[in-house]
This record gives sequence, structure tokens and C-alpha cells, in this order.
Amino acid sequence: MRGFLKEGVLFACCALAVASPSFAATQGSLGTTSTGTVGISATVPGRVEISGLSDIAFGTVDPAAAAASAENVCVWSNTSGKGYTVTATGSGASNAFSLSDGTNSLAYAVEWAGTAGQSTGTALVSGTALGGLSSTATNPGCSSGPASTASLIVKMTAANLQAAVASSYTGTLTLVVAPQ
Amino acid sequence: MPRRLIAAAIGAICTITSSASQAGAADKVRISALSDVSFGIVTNFAADSVRSQSLCLYAKSPPLDQYRITASGSGPGGSFELSSGSDNLPYEVQWNDVAGQSGGTPLVANQPLTGQQSAASIDDCSKGAPTSASLLVVLRSAAVAAASSGTYTGTLTLLVAPE
Repeated sequence: MRGFLKEGVLFACCALAVASPSFAATQGSLGTTSTGTVGISATVPGRVEISGLSDIAFGTVDPAAAAASAENVCVWSNTSGKGYTVTATGSGASNAFSLSDGTNSLAYAVEWAGTAGQSTGTALVSGTALGGLSSTATNPGCSSGPASTASLIVKMTAANLQAAVASSYTGTLTLVVAPQ
Repeated sequence: MPRRLIAAAIGAICTITSSASQAGAADKVRISALSDVSFGIVTNFAADSVRSQSLCLYAKSPPLDQYRITASGSGPGGSFELSSGSDNLPYEVQWNDVAGQSGGTPLVANQPLTGQQSAASIDDCSKGAPTSASLLVVLRSAAVAAASSGTYTGTLTLLVAPE
């Protein structure tokens, strides 16, 4: 039996709704020196980015035992607390976490951990945001600082494997992150 | 040429050279037509954001009408930094003594840029060209990407003196 998942790299953002600061540039007067001032303003909107995702190939799995795959990913957030939410959806019916061979399906579970290198995490419910997460990434793509900041874990229970028809199953897992 | 006359001629040359680098009591300058700089919402984190403006810089300091300009920001020690609460966003400042320019000489906070020359003929630029210099403010993409989300503000002060 062969399970195969593909994940999309997604970028989510939300702009800050802010009022423009009011300044008034001052003009210099004629003299032996002259001084003017300029007000400067800029709004940096909330941004997040998820990257470092890899396809998950379980290969041929033995239905006698559960299977799991964990990978490290990078989530960057620029909010003050570097917080974010993650929402996962599968390619099964009603976005369920399930693989398909075209006729039959094979259910799987998704977990998320807010630190890298984890083999277990908080179970995700399809379409429901998991919040309260905080990133340690210092820039988008984790090009400097920590190379990864979170763990994505995909699991298949022995019961589900035993219930599945022998076949090759594929599917897509979509992850949406948002500033928090 | 008699030696005394030669000495007098050398003295005259020295006097002219000196007057070109030191402001006289009658020398005047004025900076005006400044506008606030608003970057709005910075949506492109991959490219630098630049705002340029042309302004009126008048310098009456014969014979070259030169001036020096010193910029200071509202960050610590006059640094070029915007602030949003406890968060900071650095920026860069460039100056060009010609109006309508998209690039200039980078300014260092609190350090004068010397040898600038004004083409303005009247102190408020109401005659001749309406502007005579360019001010550029640059937000580097790396600085934006490293900044926390928020609205940043600050003040840039420009001090001009004749040379």
C-alpha cells in the first residue's frame, strides 16, 4: 500500500486598518542657518509565510502498524508577538484528511507543533484554525536564524490501514497560515 | 613683477579661496517647500521603497552660493529611525542639490554634507525654478521584512548653513 501527500506552499496576509498619522512639515526661514522638518510615516502590514514544505511519501506501508511522517517547516510572522494561526484542509470529501486511489479512500491525521523537530503535536481539525502559535523565524523563508520553526506531522493508524483496500493512494494537504 | 606686488597678488588669491569655504555674516540660506513623507502601507517586502521630493533650497553665499546640510532623525542620537511603540524601523536619507532627482548622496545622521550648491535666485523660489534640490527617503526591504507589523512615524530635521 502506498500513500502520498502533496502540500502547497501558501502565503497569507492581512493588512492593518490604520489611520494615516497627521504631520505638518515645517519650513525654514531665511537666515544664517535654516531648519526644516519633515514627518515620515510607514505602515508595515501583518504578514506571514510558510515555506520549507516537502511532499510526504509513506512508500509501501505495513497495515500491521501505524505509520507517521514528520517534517520541519518554516513559518515566519511579523506581528509583535510573531504569532500565527494554521488551518489545514485535505483533498477528501468536504476537505477531509483522506487519500484516494480514485475509488477508495484512506484517512489520515494531521498534527502541528510550534517548534521544529517534533514527532507529535496538536491534532488539527480540517478547516479549523489552530491559534496561539508563535514563530522564532527572524525573516521570511528562514534564510537566516533558525532554519525551521515548526513541525508538520501526518499519521495513519493501523486500523485505517487495515481497513483500506490495497492500492496506491494520493492526496493534497493545504496549509494556510495567518498573522495573529 | 616686484616681490611686494607678487606677495599682494598671492594674498588676494588666498583671500578668495578662503571666502569660498567660510560663510560670511551676510550669507543667508533658506530651506522651504518641504512635504511630509508617507509610505502608506508597504506591501512589497522584496523591494526597497523610495519617496523623493523636490524642494526649495536657497543659498546666498558668494561666489559659489554653496551650502552644507545636516540631517537628523528622531531615533536615538538623531538616528534615522521611525518608531511604533517600542519597535523601530530604520531608513536612509539621500540629498541631491538638483531638483527632480531619483538618487543622491547618502546622508549620515548629524554629519554635514558639504559643497552643495544652490541654483535658486530668490529665497522662496518664487522666481525661476520652483525647486532647487531633492530629498530622498529610502526604506530598505530588509528593514521592512525585519520589522514588526505596525504604523511607524518619525521626524526628519534638516539644518542648512552657508559655506
